[in-house]
Amino acid sequence: MATATTRAPRILLGPACLAGALALLPLGYLAVRALERGPGFAWSVMTTEGTAQLLGRSLALAAAVVAACLVLGISLAWLTVRTALPGGRAWSVAVTLPLAVPSYVAAFAWLSAVPGLSGFTGSAVALTLVSYPYVYLPVAAALRGIDPAQEEASRSLGVGPSRTFLRVVLPQLRPAAAGGALLVALYVLSDFGAVSLMRYDTFTRGIYTSYQASFDRTPAAALSVVLVAMTVGLVALETRTRGRRGHARTGTGTARPAVPARLGRWTAPALAWAAAVFAAAVAFPLGTLGYWLATGNRSTWDPAGLFGTALTTLGVAAAGAALTTVLALPVGVVAARHRGRAAGLLEQAAYAGHALPGITVALSMVFFAVRYATPLYQELPLLVCAYAVLFLPLAVAATRAAVLQSPPVLEDVARSLGRGPLNVLRTVTVPLAAPGVAAGAALTFVVCMKELPATLLLRPTGMDTLATRLWTETGVASYADAAPYAAALILLAAVPSYLLGRKR
Amino acid sequence: MRHPLRRITSVLASAALVLPLAAACGFGSDAGLVIYSGRNEGLVKPILEKLEKHLGTDVEVRYGTSAELSAQLLEEGSKTKADLFLSQDAGALGALAGKGRLDKLPQPTLDKVDAKFRGGGGDWVGVSGRVRVLAYHPASVPKPPNSVRDLVRPEWKGKIGYAPTNASFQAFVTGMRVLDGDAATRAWLKGLKANGVKAYDNNIAVLDAVDKGEVGLGLINHYYWYERVAEKGEAKVTAKLHYLPGADPGALINVAGVGVLKGAKHHAAALKAVDYLLAEEAQTYFSDETKEYPLASGVTSTVPGLPPLDSLKSPEIDLGRLESLEQTLAMLREAGMV
Amino acid sequence: MTDLRIEGLTKAYGPDATVLDGLDLTVPSGSLAAVLGPSGCGKTTLLRVVAGFLRADAGTVTVGGRVLTGPGTHVPPERRRVGIVPQEGALFPHLSVARNVAFGLTDRSTRRRRAEEMLDLVGLSGYGDRMPHELSGGQQQRIALARALAPEPALVLLDEPFNALDSALRAGVRADVRAALRAIGATALLVTHDQQEALSTADLVAVVRDGRIAQCGTPQDVYGRPADPWVAGFVGDAVLLPASAANGTAETPLGTIELSKPAASPAGTVILRPEQLRLTDPGEAGPAGTVTDVRYYGHDAMVTVAVDGLDAPVDIRVSGEVRLRLGDRTGIHVTGRGTPH
Repeated sequence: MATATTRAPRILLGPACLAGALALLPLGYLAVRALERGPGFAWSVMTTEGTAQLLGRSLALAAAVVAACLVLGISLAWLTVRTALPGGRAWSVAVTLPLAVPSYVAAFAWLSAVPGLSGFTGSAVALTLVSYPYVYLPVAAALRGIDPAQEEASRSLGVGPSRTFLRVVLPQLRPAAAGGALLVALYVLSDFGAVSLMRYDTFTRGIYTSYQASFDRTPAAALSVVLVAMTVGLVALETRTRGRRGHARTGTGTARPAVPARLGRWTAPALAWAAAVFAAAVAFPLGTLGYWLATGNRSTWDPAGLFGTALTTLGVAAAGAALTTVLALPVGVVAARHRGRAAGLLEQAAYAGHALPGITVALSMVFFAVRYATPLYQELPLLVCAYAVLFLPLAVAATRAAVLQSPPVLEDVARSLGRGPLNVLRTVTVPLAAPGVAAGAALTFVVCMKELPATLLLRPTGMDTLATRLWTETGVASYADAAPYAAALILLAAVPSYLLGRKR
Repeated sequence: MRHPLRRITSVLASAALVLPLAAACGFGSDAGLVIYSGRNEGLVKPILEKLEKHLGTDVEVRYGTSAELSAQLLEEGSKTKADLFLSQDAGALGALAGKGRLDKLPQPTLDKVDAKFRGGGGDWVGVSGRVRVLAYHPASVPKPPNSVRDLVRPEWKGKIGYAPTNASFQAFVTGMRVLDGDAATRAWLKGLKANGVKAYDNNIAVLDAVDKGEVGLGLINHYYWYERVAEKGEAKVTAKLHYLPGADPGALINVAGVGVLKGAKHHAAALKAVDYLLAEEAQTYFSDETKEYPLASGVTSTVPGLPPLDSLKSPEIDLGRLESLEQTLAMLREAGMV
Repeated sequence: MTDLRIEGLTKAYGPDATVLDGLDLTVPSGSLAAVLGPSGCGKTTLLRVVAGFLRADAGTVTVGGRVLTGPGTHVPPERRRVGIVPQEGALFPHLSVARNVAFGLTDRSTRRRRAEEMLDLVGLSGYGDRMPHELSGGQQQRIALARALAPEPALVLLDEPFNALDSALRAGVRADVRAALRAIGATALLVTHDQQEALSTADLVAVVRDGRIAQCGTPQDVYGRPADPWVAGFVGDAVLLPASAANGTAETPLGTIELSKPAASPAGTVILRPEQLRLTDPGEAGPAGTVTDVRYYGHDAMVTVAVDGLDAPVDIRVSGEVRLRLGDRTGIHVTGRGTPH
């Protein structure tokens, strides 16, 4: 009853549908390719024993990584937001930095240090350490928003601190944690870099192998359809955990900041825990790169080339982040403010392609661009669109959460003062949601910088990003030559990650 | 703390507008030849720069893996901007040829390369070749076997190293399936696994293991050993190579090759480029840089110790058929190797 | 003229969730009407339909003769000229006070002056450059009113605007709001569940029950002559006596009581207010009872008496000092007229 209007205004629904349609492009492509040899063939690919096994392995890995990310993300969020951890502010930045590390670099660092750490364990370790910030960031934000008076009430009712956390705080963190967990799960499902280095056969690796082994796109498309089905299921599961509660604060003003819990004799273990995660996720891969830089015999050292590549990377990533954010805005607002089938479907659409491997999304862009947008083919706008398709959910989730933070009554008031829906969006909704939307943009910026498979296929011929350069150099097994690009990538991606962690 | 994020947003927005425009100026110029290369930029860039001079026109190159590029080319169909496809292996070329995406090459060009190393329909041609060999540790294995089929015998238990995820190994297994049939190959793979074969990440790691005596025998491509020797000197490399005789499946020669796309915009330049790649300058470059065999007739490798290509007896297989890797992978999976 | 006419307004959220059930209400131009009802009675839905945030299933809303909601008509909120003062003010946190007030003003040339006038009207001139979070709750509420009034709306809706204020502040803000509304002669609808607020602020009180108006009239009407026992109980403390009526009077356990209007049926209930009962010397003739409870409020006190021959005890409001204690006997005397039902 407290939402602005139940039906989304056309002026929002139009652009939102456009974004949804763009996100659904890969699905259209999959349908064409998977059914190329008739539904019988596609069905037979989907239902082989091997497919079921790969599915099981992928889901097992996703479950393990999600569980580990929840433990890491929630514990670190609690330590940095709610306790008097020495250097708390610095820690909240430090534990966000792993966002900057590409999964393939993390996997490589671990493999080179612990060669035995391959397969399931290795994949799980590498993926957890790069993706737990997806849980940490929303949970930390939610923790800041919970009124500490509730915890005080619980304590006064004779419930101890740990049980208060479990019974009062944790249930309220559930929507934030579930949203993060969904992103982690989809990330794991779509990841190719880490699992291929770790030699763990997952569904996505199966899709790549199918391209590689048979040079045939039909089985790969059929397998991708299964991945989409899995994504839709996961998104539905996550939607259920949200319940029908509104999340806008109802009380007056902002919540009183919580008094940080004193850690006492737990200070040392808590510090050790945060330090260990930071060391494993950030310091260790950077150290490995430093070792390669120091010991490797570089064939050539080309600072000008590195600078140019870095600049190109920043440019395309910024364009990708900007387009993704703009497209996500109407979808996020509709998802936050309006109920009904259209809003639900739109959000689903945004997520649908998110677990697809980059190569499938890239091939679908090839398919459509070559046919219907030939002048754009292998030009920057198409690459930027591919980034938007790949990363729309990240920006939609951020926008939706940001819009939910401000009470809808403000929009009602603005309407009653004579402003139309679009004007209200521009003057009230967006300015209020700006910090959250900007955080989503920063996140998208980071992942665009790291993106490899779609960039390889769709970049203008001759263009290089840090990620493609890194791929080229590791292709001839020259880690020393690859290290500067990897280091530059991590350091550049660390800047927006740093701002994300600093946000209070 | 909304201010730093606001600032980053405005920086992002302006960068988003300016940088791609600036970057775009450097690309997309009208090239005289567009190449999709599945071979690594580090390897082929210098020779392609020479090609550019030779042709006197701009050459644009897209790099990627052979498999991804062939999928992209199939997706692009007749609308492709590519004129030439440079592939790491014959299978990707065979897949494109099978879908009719490659143009038939002129007979004089084809004639420069032995019929074994080109497409059955004359639509692609090999540029350089690599031979499957057995690396052995002379102290522990004085007399290596003369067929890979023998590797399942008890005397080699625990003594063999291989790289099961390596594309060349998988191509070799595919070749074995063509020669010996699926049943025999499956039995061989299971026998190998039962014989305690040791898996390594790649051919370099296999060669390292043989060199150190970790294993007595290693299934690799020939050029890894010659690169090692060129780097360290033959005296410091313990491992030796054994070329399998008698057209053994283990002596498969696979090639990196090139094909011209059907409907290529710069057809003439593409054909000139193929001829250039088969001419002495390029052939010598590949053989010197990669220690692979030059395939054009009349060009011989300058790599010391490399047996002449025509002295090797490789099995008679249409290399284009090596595209059917799928069942090979299923078989490897079944044997618990990948 | 900006009178508000609501006819047959109906709104349901589902087959078994009818919130407004053919509601009729007329508010004359320039007057302040309070919509009073318990939570869940539909008063918030009424306000949202009038503001245009919700579409009605049936019925019409007319302001100054202009149909805002009607069959086939739904004027969007921004074109209604209906201002709203929400609970807790809901000021835009990212805009200064002056920009909040000027939010609904489109004429750039007069914008600034008008905003200053409005700040002056609510007694907060000089606060324009502050941010909302720098104001107290009462100040925020007055700015919210200034913001709503600035574009000269035809109708102002106030959604429990004094709820969040503490009681000391409430009376002052309430008086200021009323004065400001009077000053510009705006028609206003105040939604509240607080009967004191409704009675003391409004020209007209409309009591809502189950999506309909149970009674609408001046505060005196509604309090002094409630339509039924439920309304009586909702707008204040009530004494309900079983009665048999005839010829403008009723016989009750507290004696014969004059009626304010003819009774509809001979047997029924008579409604009195506790301040209509007086405590008398127990020795006198007439009804009597035993004191069972005394609640002291400072300005007055409430004494509960179990009357001989009556099942339910009655409340008697007493001003001044109370000398009675629990268990004391007392006589009771009724003044004024009772309302039959």
